[in-house]
Amino acid sequence: MGRQGSRPLPALYLLRLYFRLLGAQIRSQLVYRTAFALDALAAALVTGAEFAAFVLVLPRFGALGGWTLGEVALLYGLAELAFVLMDLGFGGFDAPNLSAHVRSGSFSTFLLRPVPLPVQVFGSDFALRRLTRVVLAAGIVAYGVSRVDVAWSVGDVVLLAGSVLGMVAFFGGLFVVGGTLTFWTVESVEAMNVLTYGGRTLISYPMSIYGEWLRKTFTFLIPAAFLSYFPVLHVLGRPLPDGLPGWAAGLSPLVGPLLLAAAFAFWRVGVRRYHGTGS
Amino acid sequence: MNAALLRWGLLGQAAGINARLYCAAARLSFRRQFAYPAATFWGLLTNLFFGALRVAVLLALFGLKPQVAGYTPADAVTYTGLTQAFLAAFSLFGWYDLMRTVHRGEIVTELLRPHSFLGFWMAQDAGRAAAQFLLRGVTILTLYALLWGLKLPEGAAGWGLTLLSAGLAWACGFAFRFLVNGAAFWSPDAVGIGRFAWALMGLACGFLMPLAFFPAWFQSLLAWTPFPSMMNSTVELWLGHVSGTQVLRVLGVQAAWTLVLLGLARLVLARGLRRLEVAGG
Repeated sequence: MGRQGSRPLPALYLLRLYFRLLGAQIRSQLVYRTAFALDALAAALVTGAEFAAFVLVLPRFGALGGWTLGEVALLYGLAELAFVLMDLGFGGFDAPNLSAHVRSGSFSTFLLRPVPLPVQVFGSDFALRRLTRVVLAAGIVAYGVSRVDVAWSVGDVVLLAGSVLGMVAFFGGLFVVGGTLTFWTVESVEAMNVLTYGGRTLISYPMSIYGEWLRKTFTFLIPAAFLSYFPVLHVLGRPLPDGLPGWAAGLSPLVGPLLLAAAFAFWRVGVRRYHGTGS
Repeated sequence: MNAALLRWGLLGQAAGINARLYCAAARLSFRRQFAYPAATFWGLLTNLFFGALRVAVLLALFGLKPQVAGYTPADAVTYTGLTQAFLAAFSLFGWYDLMRTVHRGEIVTELLRPHSFLGFWMAQDAGRAAAQFLLRGVTILTLYALLWGLKLPEGAAGWGLTLLSAGLAWACGFAFRFLVNGAAFWSPDAVGIGRFAWALMGLACGFLMPLAFFPAWFQSLLAWTPFPSMMNSTVELWLGHVSGTQVLRVLGVQAAWTLVLLGLARLVLARGLRRLEVAGG
């Protein structure tokens, strides 16, 4: 990357630039109103159908491993809310989007512009239609909050807000890693789906329902359990598994950004390795 | 195009149908699926991971209950295996191939070919589905049998009728997918309509949860739609939940919906082709 020796651009200017890029995308996506409305509705229906299926069958069983519908809704809604917010923000790093730029060589254009690369990639794919999913996910969280037996305190709200923040950073980091891999290969990128979409689904349900090895892998090897399962356990007044101390429930805003920082370090290695297509 | 194939095509048009051409299309489409071993491997891994999650969710729902709505926990495990096995073959996450051909204008080349458009696409999809079922479906079911145990259809008759039902489920689903893709003739943004349709199909065909677990009012509502014929019927036959003359009724309903949807697909195609405008060339 060029621009060595030049002064760094002020953060406020970069932020304005980022929102300009978003604005341009939003305007273009709103040109065909009907198509946009349909797309937005369909985006929500995908999430809605999955949760609706669960809600419709639960009365036959009573509960899910001791968790009521409201409790599962809280867990499910938080995971979906964070994932869709991440999808909105990090869409440019999503492997299918980024690999299209890498394969066609249009990624080189990003490198030529006098603006930091991440700002351009962040601003390169903002799918406004996902806003309906944000609303739906927030609705599921609100339903969960209203149905669980918790005397809400400020601490609880801060804990859950931190949980969402940590999840956004965590899954954003996974998207950055998946996007970076496309500098080397497009084939194994599908393996990241297990971690991203699989991880999201995994933490949508109480992790006590999984087998020992699956639960421990996603606690100690891949720290997904810290993201929302532990905070929700804490809010519900239940002890954490494996004898973990109570403060471990507050680690989500630490775990997520750590992964994100590591992902961006990997990203810089990948960008240095990038070769144009020559066209 | 191969000259021999073309000649067969012309003859076929005269005769109205040409089995050999469609078989060739299906065979080539079948073979194409074997060209991407890495994609198949990672796809399988994803299928298996999601399968494990779905097994956990359903077993946790059952808890200590020995049976719910006719399903035992073992039935539920087999059900999740079947959803993962049919996922790729039945394109349950969606299928936009025809849409793309229309939007890009490639459809013109296809229309120049002397064969039935619907028949050719159906043959290609049959080859794709068969290969996907062998590659991913059979592998997933084998892994399920090793990891969690798998219930199998009983006896030669059970196998035969279940496989027949699976074939009908594919055909019924194909006709529905073709119909949805037909929206591309009217709208330049049919993708949204597609996403809508696939989400509905996932819920209503029994992919997200077995239909038997849904409330009675929802089940009777779905019974009036073609969606159960696209997967749930096959699952119930596989698990042996349907017996005696009921089997024939289920297969009859599947066949009837397939014919109705294929008829509709033909109608939509004819209407759509009359509207079709392709720029440039």
